[in-house]
This record gives sequence, structure tokens and C-alpha cells, in this order.
Amino acid sequence: MTLSLSLEKRLEPTPWVPLLPALSVALALPAGGVVLAIAGTNPWEAYKEMALGAFGSLYGLSETVVKAIPLLLAGLGVALAFRMLFWNIGAEGQLHLGALGATWVALNAPDLPAPLLQPLMILAAFFAGAAWGLIPATLKVYAGLNEIITTLMMNYIAILWMDFLVYGPWKDPHGFGFPFTAPFPPAARLLKLPGSRIHLGLALGLAAAGLLAVLLWRTRVGYEIRIIGLNPRAARYAGMNIPKVTLLVLALSGGLAGLAGLSEVAGIQGRLKHGLSPGYGYTAIIVAWLARLNPWAVVGVSVLLGGLLVGGDMLQIAMGLPVTMTYILQGLILFFVLGMEVLSGYRLILRRRGSSRAKT
Amino acid sequence: MELWPLILLTLAAAVRAGTPILFAALGELMAERSGVLNLGVEGMMLVGALVGFMTTQKTGEPWLGLLAAGLAGTMVSLIHAFLTITLRANQVVSGLALTIFGTGVSGFLGKPYIGVPAEGFPPTRVSVFGDLPLVGTIFFQHDPMVYLTYPLIPLFWFLLYRTRPGLNVRAVGESPESADAMGVGVALTRYLCVLAGGLLAGLGGAYLSLAYTHMWIENMTAGRGWIALAIVIFGTWDPVRVALGAYLFGGVQALQLRLQALGVGLPTYLLMMTPYVFTVLVLVVATRETVRRRIGAPAALGIPYARGE
Amino acid sequence: MKGKWLATVIAGLLALGLGVTARSQEPMKVGFVYVGPVGDYGWTYAHDQGRKSLEKALPGVKTTYVESVAEGADAERVITELARTGHKVIFTTSYGYMDTTIKVAEQFSNVVFLHCSGYKRRENVGTYFGRMYQASYLSGLVAGKMTRKNLIGYVAPIPIPEVIRITNAFALGARETNPQVKVHVVWTNAWYDPATETEAANGLLDIGADVIATQSDSPAPVQAAEKRGAYGVGYNSDASKFAPKGHLVSAVWDWGPYYVETIKAVKAGTWKSEDVWWPIGTGIVGLAPYGPAVPSSVKTLVEKRKEDLIQGRFDVFWGPIKDQSGKIRIARGQKATDEELLQMNWFVEGIVGTIPK
Repeated sequence: MTLSLSLEKRLEPTPWVPLLPALSVALALPAGGVVLAIAGTNPWEAYKEMALGAFGSLYGLSETVVKAIPLLLAGLGVALAFRMLFWNIGAEGQLHLGALGATWVALNAPDLPAPLLQPLMILAAFFAGAAWGLIPATLKVYAGLNEIITTLMMNYIAILWMDFLVYGPWKDPHGFGFPFTAPFPPAARLLKLPGSRIHLGLALGLAAAGLLAVLLWRTRVGYEIRIIGLNPRAARYAGMNIPKVTLLVLALSGGLAGLAGLSEVAGIQGRLKHGLSPGYGYTAIIVAWLARLNPWAVVGVSVLLGGLLVGGDMLQIAMGLPVTMTYILQGLILFFVLGMEVLSGYRLILRRRGSSRAKT
Repeated sequence: MELWPLILLTLAAAVRAGTPILFAALGELMAERSGVLNLGVEGMMLVGALVGFMTTQKTGEPWLGLLAAGLAGTMVSLIHAFLTITLRANQVVSGLALTIFGTGVSGFLGKPYIGVPAEGFPPTRVSVFGDLPLVGTIFFQHDPMVYLTYPLIPLFWFLLYRTRPGLNVRAVGESPESADAMGVGVALTRYLCVLAGGLLAGLGGAYLSLAYTHMWIENMTAGRGWIALAIVIFGTWDPVRVALGAYLFGGVQALQLRLQALGVGLPTYLLMMTPYVFTVLVLVVATRETVRRRIGAPAALGIPYARGE
Repeated sequence: MKGKWLATVIAGLLALGLGVTARSQEPMKVGFVYVGPVGDYGWTYAHDQGRKSLEKALPGVKTTYVESVAEGADAERVITELARTGHKVIFTTSYGYMDTTIKVAEQFSNVVFLHCSGYKRRENVGTYFGRMYQASYLSGLVAGKMTRKNLIGYVAPIPIPEVIRITNAFALGARETNPQVKVHVVWTNAWYDPATETEAANGLLDIGADVIATQSDSPAPVQAAEKRGAYGVGYNSDASKFAPKGHLVSAVWDWGPYYVETIKAVKAGTWKSEDVWWPIGTGIVGLAPYGPAVPSSVKTLVEKRKEDLIQGRFDVFWGPIKDQSGKIRIARGQKATDEELLQMNWFVEGIVGTIPK
């Protein structure tokens, strides 16, 4: 008897779709547990330490939020672009451009007071990220170039450009030759929640989530974005100006990723450094996608993913495991979430080969 | 020191430095031609590099290591194939997860092999060809793994453009609906292409740990998987152009290192940027629909296929 | 289960009876923050070897490490987490952790922090480093003696003062034993990338070098030299396993003695914040055993120079020292100050290569 696995499109969404992520994590944890056990660690202890590290104390929680801020901002940008089927995987590059924009302002206008300087930095970061996002958008709209490819290329260019600047023209003259800029003036450091490292970036992220929700569900453009995403052909027949919407969306998407760069550089690091981002722009894709491109869900998912990253420290500190174990667990969890995701749109059908073929 | 021999040696170095990227890029080319983007190249290469080294270290037989590396790369790519083809998961996310996973697995299992030497592939001069003027120095004074790539390039070209399976691959990447209607097994074709991609990425990784160096170091690919992805695009999904792209990339590196050795200072980061800028420009020039068709950008790249939707 | 219960009771009774002793028996937790993976076989690997020998030497010490900690994004959180989880001494092993270490130390006055390679200190923050340039100079003496073509290739990672200083010291050593020598420097612009390091070595061999020295993390350049029948000078760890024939010598880190001594001092309550920059002969930096190709006359010469360094009869950066343009940078009879060493951004005479600006 041979069994075959096939997928059948659901005609209407099942009521338990919102539970899918939880279900997939519930499956991923035992799988990760097996790996942990093979590595000679008590999985229960390991998971407990991770959870406590990320959410078990006020400090852990605040650090989880800190880690979530760039993921939130860039994740919102990615989610918006994905909404209209523009596969922007260039958040990493747009984030770097945002950091460059903010740094340029901070280094060139160090004497401005904070209420003037910080809005300027925010604008510069937003516009720099937007400009970087508009390049692949323009190439797609006017030249039909596949955006997956151009946005990926633009990431390399952005990172190398930043390296060029911090190893060269922007290098701190008093920095003993290390690849970073001079420290920002205090006025350029984003406001912090007292007693923690949570900074203004969180407010920017939450505001952006709200604005995106309004844009998507309360405006004409948002309606168009959603229609283009659901059915581009229908959108074209309905006379929607897809090029214009694409450019607008990518300006916003890149701009939001740019704000993520600003929040890292002005909220956390206080100067532009080589190795600015440990791949936040790529993690943001994961965030957007796990959140099903819903702005409010992006808020929640970025905190969860931030927690996974912060909790990963405890695998090393409390359990004595190398950092690579954290990567393995992250990969496994993603695999399971990806695998389960399919159930939201399809029914999984296991049947004997050859029988009931007519149904599909 | 004479200039001419140095130029030849630089060109030979270009081939060497391009080879690991060439392996991985040829594999990714197959996957993308069938419409599946796999951003997990870096992860697959790392697993290949480690498994190749482990096996060689244990058995003393680099060819066995090479085989194991290919198998390991294939196994890792199977995850991507299952998720994106069978379960129609998002290819971008799955590829990213694969890179994270591969980095983790190779680093974790590789701990005992840090700082342990092993015999890899020795430099092997090809008898008759190696003595040829010019060509001999550039192409035939390397290690066996380099020679392995030479037949692969025309083979892939022939396979893709001159055989039925190749036509099927292109059809599946261009329009899975029509391919399906013609009776081509879309899922099977894509599976085979993604697995071929994993196999070759594994070999590309093994080149680093068995031929280029004979050692295992965590993250030793240092971004070459991502460069391979760029080279596929730079070479516009054509095996010959991809090979040229890989050698060009190797050449830029070989040349800048030798110019430095001669005391010439270079703006390294700007130089490293040029291939990517150039890739975007190439694509812009080649955008017209007719050109696009001729260069063969797979239209269905990144899109899962489900019959009748 | 029963055994565990019994053990708990016994431990409890012991703790009651011998309260004071039991307390001092509690292991002391020591944390390490690494910038790279332990498996880099270079900088981080060397620190981790030091951590392991600390655990072996002092049974009452329990160590923890966190690897691949990004200097900007994650360092503050990781250092804080270590301090919060009861680590009494924390070593932060990268220059980029400097400001963060100071910042976290302000909040944990009962924890001792030790930052490697920086210069900022406070009551509970000390700095430590080794005078690697001395070991590098000694390895340069060997290289200068062994080259026949008077052309030595040098693979350098990232153009920062520390790397420049150590490269200069190597060149000074090589030119002391062989004034005709030119040291050609190639930057790989990465701390570790074995394939690029290999190709850098190949390029240097292509232009005629017959000795390859490196300052990168991996022993790949030494291995590349071996493959082509040239000599290799290693760095970080002993590279002899990767070049059984051509390995001359390696300038190596050995952090163990420093870590052991520091923890002993903290335990004894004698530790105080200071700048530790251990010279050769005291631990931290040293030379790996010589390779088979090195004749005993060269060994004698190097050991004599080493003794001079240890006794303070000589130092590497003693004038006159000229830069590449022939201008005197350190005058006759003068010795470079630590401040000057920390900011060195020029190559000495005899180096062929440029420092990216």
C-alpha cells in the first residue's frame, strides 16, 4: 500500500487558522528538544532558561523589547511591500542606508538641540531608506526587473558602502584607527525609558504599526495595495495605477527599514560601527511573514522573535551550549512554522495512491 | 620579477578563487531555472565543508570526503525542497532558515575538528595539458576539484539547452502551468533541481575545506554562498556566463591581492562593490522582454506552483 | 532518586555544621565574552584555551562563555546578563566592548570586569593585553634569517593600530637579521576568511616571496606556503601541525597564566584595577616551538634577543626607526611610549604596502 500526500485548497479558511503558529511551535519544541537531548542537555531546563531569560524578569523583558525594535520597524516595511507581492528582501540594505542618513546628520550638525536634531535624523533616515527602496521599485516598474534580485544586490552595495565610510572618510580621528565614526553628541541619542535601554524607536514602531493599519484598511491606497496583492490582474482591469502604488509602497517600506537603522545607531550604539546589523533586515522578513503581513501581528511577532534571540543567550550562560545550538533551534522552529503554514490555505490529504484521484 | 608570468599566475588564481563559487552558483542556477529560489546556499556550503572535512579526516580519503560533502548538501537541500515544493512554503523564508540552520549544524558538529589537520586534495598538474603554454598555467596546474568543474560547465549548458529534461526544467521555471499541461512533472523536476543545487553547494563548500585549505574553521565560507547567489544573476542563469562571472569575481580578488602584494594601495570596499553594481547594470541593460527571454530569467522564480489555481 | 535525596541531606548538614567552609567551597563563577566563534582557531579560540586552562588550574572556579557577541548590538545585554547571573569576574575580550564594559561596570560595583586591549578603566574595571609585538619581532628575526630571496610575504587582517604595530615589529625583526629584506603586506580586510588568506599567501608567493608570515586568525597562509615549498611563520596558535616541514615558528597567545593569576588575586582580595600589558617571558605572549628547518644558530640568536627583551636591555621600538618614506619617526635613543604604540598608523621602512586611509 502506498500512501501519497497531497494538498487541497481550502474553499473557506478554517476557524483555527490563528492557532497554527502556536501549533507549529508546539511541534518544533519537541523536535528541538531531541537535538538538545542528543547534545546532552536537559531540554526542559534549556527551554525554561530561555523563556526566563527573555520574559522572566523585567530586565529580560526590556531587553527583548530592545531587540524587537529594529525587527518591528523593518518588519513593518517588509510586510507592507509583501502585501502587494513586491518581494522586498532589501530591508537589510535599506536599514544600512537609514543608519547612514541619521549618522550623516548627527556628525554634520552636532550643535543642534535635540528637539531639532532628532527629527532631522529621523527624516534623513527615512528618506535615505526610502531612496534605497525606490531604486528596485523603479527598476521593477519601468524595466520589469525581478525585485528579489535587485533588492538582494542593493544589500551588498549598502553594506560595502557603509564599510567604505567607516574604514575611510567617516572614521573617528580619535578612534585609534578602529572602524567606527566619532560618538554622536548627547543630543543625537534617542530618548530612553529610564532604567532600561528601551528607546524612542519603540514609539516610532508602534506609531508606524498604527499608521500602516489605517493606511491598509481605511484609505483608498490601502485598498488598492490589498487588491493588487490578492489579484494583480483584477487590479489592472479595475484601472488601478500599479506603478504609482509600487513606488509609494517601496518608499514607505524602505523608509521604515531606514528607521530601524536609525533606532540601532542613535538608540543603541551611539555611533556608526562596522557590523552595524547582525542581519536584522533578513530576520525582519521572517517577522513579516510569520505575522501574515498584518501590522499589529508584526508587533507581537517581533517581540517573540526578539525573545528567542535574547533567550538564546541563556543557552550559553546557563546551559553551557555554544551559540550554534541557538541557530539550530531557530532554524528548526522556522522549518516547523513554515511547514504548518501551508495548512492555513490547504488541507493536507493522505490517501492511498490511485484512489479518489477524481476529487482534485 | 617578470610581468607576464605574474599575469598568468593571477589568471590561474582567478580560476582557483572562482571555483568554490562556481560549484555553488551552478547548483543554484539549476534550482532557480526550475523556479525555486534557495537562499540557503551559505548554509549548504558550510555543511558540505564540514562533512567533507570530517570524512576525509576519518578515512584519509578526500574523494570519499567529496562524496560525503555532496550527499550532505543534498540532504540539507531536501528540507528546502520539501517545504517549498511539497508544502508550498515561502521560498525566501525557507532559504533564510536553511542558512541559519546550516551555520548552526556545521558549527556545532564541527567543534572537535577545529585545529585538526587532514590530508586534502594535493595540487595535481595535468600531464599533457599542464605543459601547454598559457592555457596550461591558467587551467591545468590546480587540484582535482578544479578539473571537476570544467566538464560541468558544458554539461550543464548542454543539459539545459539541448536535452528534453533541460527543456522541461526551463519550462517549469518559465511557466509551470504550461509545463504541467504538457505532462511535465513540475514537482519532480523542481525536486531534482533543488537537490542538484544542494549537491553542488556541498561540493563548493568542500572545495574550501579539502582543496583551497585543508582545515575546518567555523563559518569558513565567509559569505561565498551569498556571492554565488549574486553570480547566478550576474550570469543571467546561463552556465557559461555564470562560470565567467565566477572567474571574474575570483579574478577581481586575485588581482587586488596581487596588486597589494606589489605595494599598490586600493580602495578595497569600493572595489568589492563593483560586481554588485555591475550586476544591476547588466540587468537594466538586458530588460527588454525579448532580451529577458533570451537571457532566460525564469519568470516563475520564487512562486510556488499548485495545479489549477 | 534516593541517592540524590541523601546527598542533599548530607550537603545540608555539612552546610549547617561547617557554614564558613561551605560558603568558600561554592564555586566562583567567571564569565567570558567572545567576539567570534570559539571555532575560529584564532583570537577567540586562544582566549577559550585560556579559559579551559583556568578551569583546570583552579577547581573552585566555574566558567561560562558567550561567543559571537556583536560589539554594537548585543554586547551590553550579554555582559549585563553575566553580571546578573552571579558571575563575579567577567572578561570582555574585544576592543569594541570597551565603552560597554565601562557602562555595565558602573551598575555592578561588586563585579570585577577585565577588558582586553582597551584603555578605559575604573575601580572595578581593569585592562589587559600582551606585548605581542615582542613575540612578533622575534618571529621576524627567524624569517629574516631564513629568506633567501629577501622577500617576505605578510598576510594582515584589518588595518587597525594593533595590527600595524605587530606587523611593524615583525618587519623590524626581519630587517635586523637581514637588512636587505622587504616585507610585502597584503590586507585581507577580514579577521577570518581562510580561503582569502590562502589566496593572499599565494599572491605573495607568486611575486617571489619565500617566507609567508600571517597575523590573520587561521593558519591557512602557513599551510599555503607549505604546499608550495616555502616557509611559514604562524600567529595566534602554533601552526606546526599545518606545515610540518616549512613551519619556522609561531607568535602565540597564551592567556591561561594571566587568567589564573587574576582569578587568584580576586579570590585573595588583592586585585586592583590596573593596566596589565604583559611583556614576553611572563605569559600571555610567547613563541611556539621552532620548526625543523630552523638551524640552532638562529635559535640561539632569537633566545638571546628574547632574554634582552625580558631583562629590559632592549625593546622593539627603540629609535632610530624610520617610516616608509625614510622619515625618522622614533629618534635615536628614544623608545616609543605605550600611547604611541596604541595609535601607530604608519609602516616602518622596509615594508612594501599601504595602510588604507
